[in-house]
Amino acid sequence: MLESNRHPNIEILSYSEVIEVDGYIGNFEIKVKRKARYVDENKCTGCGTCTEACPIYIPNYFDENLSARKVIDIAFAQAVPAVQDLVRESCVECFACVDGCEQEAIDFSQQDEIVDLEVGTIIVATGWDLYRGDDYGYGTYENVINQIELERIIAPNGPTYGHLKRPSDRKRPERILFINCVGSRDVNKNPWCSVICCNLSLKNSKLIKSEYPDSQIMCVYIDMRCAGKDYEEYYRRSRDAGIIFVKGLVGKIEEDPETKNLIVQMEPVGTDTVISAEFELVVLSPASLPSQGTVEIARVINMEKSPDGFLKEFHARLDPISTKVAGIYICGSAQGQKEIDKAVSQAKGAASTAGIPMGKGEYTIELIRAKPSDERCAKCYKCIDACPYTAISVNETGNLVVDLIKCRGCGTCAALCPSKAIELTYYRDDQYMALMDELLPMPE
Amino acid sequence: MAGTIRAQYPSSLRTVLVPCTGRVGPDVVMRAFGRGADGVMIVG
Repeated sequence: MLESNRHPNIEILSYSEVIEVDGYIGNFEIKVKRKARYVDENKCTGCGTCTEACPIYIPNYFDENLSARKVIDIAFAQAVPAVQDLVRESCVECFACVDGCEQEAIDFSQQDEIVDLEVGTIIVATGWDLYRGDDYGYGTYENVINQIELERIIAPNGPTYGHLKRPSDRKRPERILFINCVGSRDVNKNPWCSVICCNLSLKNSKLIKSEYPDSQIMCVYIDMRCAGKDYEEYYRRSRDAGIIFVKGLVGKIEEDPETKNLIVQMEPVGTDTVISAEFELVVLSPASLPSQGTVEIARVINMEKSPDGFLKEFHARLDPISTKVAGIYICGSAQGQKEIDKAVSQAKGAASTAGIPMGKGEYTIELIRAKPSDERCAKCYKCIDACPYTAISVNETGNLVVDLIKCRGCGTCAALCPSKAIELTYYRDDQYMALMDELLPMPE
Repeated sequence: MAGTIRAQYPSSLRTVLVPCTGRVGPDVVMRAFGRGADGVMIVG
């Protein structure tokens, strides 16, 4: 990330949002809202004096609200650019930060700024987020956490500096339960498989077990999906390390009000019995969902979405990188949850795919396009609503205008126009009628 | 497609190429029925 920031051909606009996208391949017109961070990026050196001076603590979203940050602080240790941002809603405007800043980089008069960009291609890689339903007492019982919260707890730069401590009493939990498929593979919640959770349980349970060998760790699963390179071997090593894997379903979790331990009822498959076990910490593997950013950018660019809400690829098997719009490409979890190595491969694919038209400098389109006829058009505009590529618009006189780049020659407009005012070149109605007449000769 | 998998189909089956099934509107289908077709299959 640091190298990207230093590269002369790469410009990073952080703390920003794409709010408008118009145009077509080679000529996209983008509007980006650069949100006010109240710190001048060109002057701030990231020294942290303002952070030390600030008296107000707020929850740190990067640590899943398990730790605190100051109102003026750096987003996380490795943030690029390495400058602070100020959360204005929580600021009491004591200006202790301004007094401390030698670079005079703090600017309370900063406003959100709109930047216009002209770009040739777009790659959307806006990622995923976790399902945060209230299954199994999540949000109610303190010691029921999800995988991301666990990752922050065992991270060396996290809220507990990497020491495994459970939320209720900060004690180290010895008996830990991992529950897979929370909210996934569930027709009532998210019917899809979230791909990463089985391996995530393996990784985190193995990390805990190797750091704290006397831990008793159990993982309850529907299937252990460890497909791909090395993952099955990793599963075997986890079993050899003494982690217990139980195929079954967790029915109910109750909290012991004194110890805050969790009493878990589960039914191991094939045993016809419900067993009850007590754990000090329960870690849920919740479903993967499209991130808020993915949902938002899909709205801004009018992108197609798959039934699971992730961005729709051009072809699920033969081209999972392009989209129905020429010049817009997708990669990573935004296209569907996947493992890290698959995301990296897809990112490399998206970069080269975007590079092809950019290298050529020109883009070839087929001539099969919609062609409107002003005389016949009754201006009902049914074609505009029906076009899957939003390629048809109206000009000042109310006549139809077809964007020859957005139009993909599908012919939906030609098929439904009641006035036959818009036709598809090379596939016109009179051509079809003549063809039918020949194929189906009427007896004399 | 049937040809590529060497499947047999009767010569009474006529094929009409469309760029996309979206191009097939009711007028074209009715023309076929009007000219004596027993059925119209839209495949794509």
